[in-house]
Amino acid sequence: MAKVDADLPLKGGFSFDLCRRNEMLVKKGATLPGFRKTGTTIVGLVFQDGVVLGADTRATEGPIVADKNCEKIHYMAPNIYCCGAGTAADTEAVTDMVSSQLQLHRYATGRESRVVTALTLLKSHLFSYQGYVSAALVLGGVDVTGPHLHTVYPHGSTDTLPFATMGSGSLAAMAVFESKYREGLTREEGISLVAEAICSGIFNDLGSGSNVDVCVITKGKTEYLRNHLLPNPRTYVSSKGYSFVKGHTEVLSTKIIPLTQKEKVEVAAEGDAMEE
Amino acid sequence: MSIFEYNGSAVVAMVGKNCFAIASDRRLGVNLQTIATDFQRIYKIHDKLYIGLSGLATDAQTLYQRLVFRHKLYQLREERDMRPETFASLVSAILYEKRFGPYFCQPVIAGLGDDNKPFICTMDCIGAKELAKDFVVSGTASESLYGACESMFKPDLEPDELFEVVSQALLASVDRDCLSGWGGHVLIVTPTEVLERTLKGRMD
Amino acid sequence: MKLDTSGLEAPAPILGGIDDLSVDFAAAQSFDLPGCADFDGFQKDAVQMVKPAKGTTTLAFIFKEGVIVAADSRASMGGYISSQSVKKIIEINPYMLGTMAGGAADCQFWHRNLGIKCRLHELANKRRISVTGASKLLANILYSYRGMGLSVGTMIAGWDEKGPGLYYVDSEGGRLKGTRFSVGSGSPYAYGVLDNGYRYDLSIEEAAELGRRAIYHATFRDGASGGVASVYFVGPNGWKKMSGDDVGELHYKYYPVTTTPVEQEMAEVPAA
Repeated sequence: MAKVDADLPLKGGFSFDLCRRNEMLVKKGATLPGFRKTGTTIVGLVFQDGVVLGADTRATEGPIVADKNCEKIHYMAPNIYCCGAGTAADTEAVTDMVSSQLQLHRYATGRESRVVTALTLLKSHLFSYQGYVSAALVLGGVDVTGPHLHTVYPHGSTDTLPFATMGSGSLAAMAVFESKYREGLTREEGISLVAEAICSGIFNDLGSGSNVDVCVITKGKTEYLRNHLLPNPRTYVSSKGYSFVKGHTEVLSTKIIPLTQKEKVEVAAEGDAMEE
Repeated sequence: MSIFEYNGSAVVAMVGKNCFAIASDRRLGVNLQTIATDFQRIYKIHDKLYIGLSGLATDAQTLYQRLVFRHKLYQLREERDMRPETFASLVSAILYEKRFGPYFCQPVIAGLGDDNKPFICTMDCIGAKELAKDFVVSGTASESLYGACESMFKPDLEPDELFEVVSQALLASVDRDCLSGWGGHVLIVTPTEVLERTLKGRMD
Repeated sequence: MKLDTSGLEAPAPILGGIDDLSVDFAAAQSFDLPGCADFDGFQKDAVQMVKPAKGTTTLAFIFKEGVIVAADSRASMGGYISSQSVKKIIEINPYMLGTMAGGAADCQFWHRNLGIKCRLHELANKRRISVTGASKLLANILYSYRGMGLSVGTMIAGWDEKGPGLYYVDSEGGRLKGTRFSVGSGSPYAYGVLDNGYRYDLSIEEAAELGRRAIYHATFRDGASGGVASVYFVGPNGWKKMSGDDVGELHYKYYPVTTTPVEQEMAEVPAA
């Protein structure tokens, strides 16, 4: 009975049934794998009439760049976005969960979501897991009470700030903000300052890299500027690349399985051409 | 010794023009000892959707069975096959459920979507999705695979060209890895047919 | 603290008088021991440091005509294959071979060192050193560094006045005389083939094939062995390289595959 339960969907929450086995494996000398991280620079600032969020696009697994162009600015609500740093799976899951709760809340109330609602949902989830869900977030949005910017730490503590940075590149980015941020920035000034802070992270922090994503949220309007800047284009590919002669690879066996189309049945005529 | 290195594996998927390739090595080992050289790491979900599971073989097989179960439930309820994007979210959710006691698998998902648009994606063992436009890799040979794919991949390859590129990238990479290799297994999926091939590789 | 390395020194000053040059030359052959408080801890760390690069299959056996020495050619660091073309059979002199398993640097250095000693012995005594003597020289050196982190598993094979000779020497200080040895992570697999196919009255060709086959089977099963199976024969006229076969091709020579014709499923068959 219990087994059937474990396989069925709907339940929700974490499952700990492999923990004992994994603990045993560690005791026997196995090392557990690292998780994909977003060794990251994420920033946000409040400008004249809204909020600008920014992020780099590098995901790492140990010393390997696992993804050169990942998305770290997550959707929470039409008027709220959230940058995530830390374990990639955690930031992804926690923002997805909260955004669906916000959507349900909007269905129930018929009103625009507020940033504090998102903030409370995030911090209460993170607090209840005592920091084990390692998500460090920069939450920004504009609601009926105006523009808001918050940071959320993995243990569940939060800050409310006019400008904020997070992740491994936070010091590099904060250096830019501390020297150049002022109240009442225009939209253009805000975007360029955020881009500059992210670039500072990209070029000075090894955990951050590739491109700059920016998200501008103003009253009633959200602009997601994916790959706003591309400061690191590929320079190392030759225009020709490698080319292989057809039939270069030695093959032991070949099997061709035609797929039946819904409407028409096609006999694979090009099968012969693809043989070794 | 990482638990990923217990059995050894190499899986790669690549996107071509209206098609995709998914390939893996054929070795099953226990640390350095080779147990089998005809091991399957690529599993079929439906005609146009495949998943390659690198990492600990026992978890890969368990996970595959759970995925088949969930896919069959979906088919019964919806009377259609799952879209690759949906399936990737399902795998991600199943893996994240075990965030604090994970399956030691790194999945590679490859499929053709509704309009036969190729979709590939990989995840870490707790379900952090990485969608890619070009190629994805996983397994003990992943570092060599990154290098090989990064230099050999070209966009919009025809199925027969894609086969050569993915095969050469796989064979070149596993030749630098003690724990994977012993031949290769390649699937090229186009809207009209599936081409399944086993590769001749070094057996050391 | 300094280790007694008198066993390492040349039997007689090389250039006659003691000058700066020869002092430096002699000094280069001994190591200072570390002057740290936790010497045991240092030893453990030292052993860990040289532990990688140990995946190997080497074998040697005596038969009617002489000695066969064979080895693979892979060097690995953890799971990564750092080279597929390592020379694991070291040519000490025209009549003697050493094999390499364990730390590559340790093996190379001490075999070169042994080569020097064997040559000096030849010059001093006007005849070649026996395999027994040479292996003992090496074993004595390794024993003097016992427990300090050297990692060597070697076979000294050769032909001397008494005929073929074969010794197994390791960094734990062991030295064994025998007719059949295999060393390295692939040795269990090699032993299986070797013990099964071994006869004393093998011909040279048969013996070389046995060595090659044993190495091939070890490379097949052992992840850390691979590359080229090289086979040497040592007879009364010194050693001769018999073959160096890429095991990638050897597999398909031993087990030929026929490319199966393209299998085409019928379109009418509904997919499961």
